[in-house]
Amino acid sequence: MSAGAREPNGPRVAVVLGSGSVKCAAALGLLKVLQREGIGVDMVVGCSGGSLYAALIALGHDVATAEAMTRRLWTRELTSRRNHRSFLSVFLPGVFGFDESFGMVNDRLILERLKSAFGEATFEKARIPLYLTATDFHTGEQVVFESGSIVDAVRASIAIPYVFRPWPVGGRMLVDGFMSDPMPVGVAIRQGANIIVTMGFESPYQQKINSPIRFAFQLSSITSNNLLKANFSFHNLAHHAEILPILPEFKESIHLFDTDKIPYVIEEGERAAERQIPYLRRLLSGA
Amino acid sequence: MEITTEQRGTVTVISIAGSVDGMTAASLIGSFRAQVTGGNIRIVGDFARVEYTSSAGLRALLETVKETRQQGGDLRLAGVQPDVLRVLELSGFTHILKLFPDIESAVASFPA
Amino acid sequence: MIGSGSIKCASALGLLRVLRRERIPVHLAVGCSAGGIYASALALGWDLETLERKSYEAWQGLFARLDYLGLLQILLPGLFRPSAPAGLLAEKRLNAALRAFYGEATFEDAKIPLHLVATDLKTGESVILSEGRLFDAVRASVAIPVLLRPWTVGGRLLFDGGASDPLPVSVAIREGYDIILAMGFENPLNERLGSLMSLISQTTCITMNNLLKSTYSFYSAAHHAEIVPILPTFDRHIGLRDSSLHPYIIERGEEAAAKQLPFLRRLLAG
Repeated sequence: MSAGAREPNGPRVAVVLGSGSVKCAAALGLLKVLQREGIGVDMVVGCSGGSLYAALIALGHDVATAEAMTRRLWTRELTSRRNHRSFLSVFLPGVFGFDESFGMVNDRLILERLKSAFGEATFEKARIPLYLTATDFHTGEQVVFESGSIVDAVRASIAIPYVFRPWPVGGRMLVDGFMSDPMPVGVAIRQGANIIVTMGFESPYQQKINSPIRFAFQLSSITSNNLLKANFSFHNLAHHAEILPILPEFKESIHLFDTDKIPYVIEEGERAAERQIPYLRRLLSGA
Repeated sequence: MEITTEQRGTVTVISIAGSVDGMTAASLIGSFRAQVTGGNIRIVGDFARVEYTSSAGLRALLETVKETRQQGGDLRLAGVQPDVLRVLELSGFTHILKLFPDIESAVASFPA
Repeated sequence: MIGSGSIKCASALGLLRVLRRERIPVHLAVGCSAGGIYASALALGWDLETLERKSYEAWQGLFARLDYLGLLQILLPGLFRPSAPAGLLAEKRLNAALRAFYGEATFEDAKIPLHLVATDLKTGESVILSEGRLFDAVRASVAIPVLLRPWTVGGRLLFDGGASDPLPVSVAIREGYDIILAMGFENPLNERLGSLMSLISQTTCITMNNLLKSTYSFYSAAHHAEIVPILPTFDRHIGLRDSSLHPYIIERGEEAAAKQLPFLRRLLAG
């Protein structure tokens, strides 16, 4: 997706993809619609699940390839192998040394798959500016990646708390971007984007809270969902131009690894994107 | 976007039809401001025929909310449609504005 | 309006001292987490000396027994590194202290409108409590995640309001209040993580701190008038080992409030 022949101070269109695991595939539906309308994207920002798609889009993959890559990458097997040391450290912290590198799932497989998807690709290889966000685990601050290895940045951005261990990059311990900003519109604003198209999803709530880990996940969802809303509200008021939220509606529940539902998710993404097209067209022609 | 105005006692009802967005914001603020300057600071925005609103449109609305409140009045919304309500919720506006199902209840909400 | 922050909220008493001294009337009180304790005390209209004394006794009484470490873990999760949940015994003591503080007082006993904010554990929504027994509302609002059990009010399981609306000024904004004094603090983050509980606490606090900042930014931009931030700074680590720090905390609150006085006076005059 090229920047297109556009005047230097014409509208800059940014796409911001926030958290949501499999639902983030709806971004491909958005991409389809934008391509069909001949609307170029000048910048992509990604966080958590969205970082995967942001990277794929920025690297110039077409929708079909991106879809196939996601289905190969994101499967249930990713969480099938436990990280035994972490489990043992919960019960015997003195012996097994509980520390910040706790993560219930062995992350070797996710790392392998990210490497096979992105290889040695760096931000510099992206066709349009790409920004991926994570969170510094010690300070709670947002960390923005705009250079270096894409694998490192994506791995940091999707370091789901409790599940995957934090990822060290440049001397900092990084965790999932959604803890500091689930849908980083602020990054797009700071980079001078005019029209910002967003897509992000709330984290699911637990049906029953009957174990400490479910309680931990529930807390995580509650706080990050409220943060998602608060940040969107604020960015709405702080921006000088337009923020267009793309809001797919899913009639069935989409769980963490429902990759077979990706075609449906993409369809709903397309449908939701269509709703913003009339106004987006007016903005681009009138501005 | 079309705007019509009606006076009900001490409350001014401004009915809007169409889209409240970055392009219509200027004329919207203009209409609202004309009322406020004229001393009408109790305003009900009738949103029954507003089909779309954008972030820039919301910011314009907020300008009027602030101006009326600074003078002891308020801007309250009536009859917001589901799609538009969703955007108001997403952007936190339902926290800072008073919304009513219809014009009558919105008008009645202002103290006598 | 007093946001989250456990014992540092005692600096709200410092704010109160300043307000009373300057004869600045308060028309609405909103509280969240431990801030709810002080917001409700403010609304109940207890005289300052009673308030300071009760506050001091409540915090001190909590530490009179042998396993005070358990209580410290409840009240300042960020500063202490619990290796296990504080347990029912410590929680019972907190409940007893709160009951002693409020007795059977209800929202109706408040001299000015009072709202306390908690979070629904099932839906994540922010819940505004404005009626019934104060003890129940405060206990729900102050239920720090992980270390205090959620509390049932009106059939809903509720916990710390700081997880959904840490600076609950929306009520004040919707009701048209001009000047809003907002006192808020971030949860301090752990330096070392030695247990699952501290990990959960750290993870939760990171997001909650970001939520506090974001909330403040939004309301600042949305409000038609002024949100005056009262942000006490503490140049020493606030532990609860000796409650003789209590006067110091109140002082810092007083100082932070005093800093905003000139601006506040101009606002009230104009």
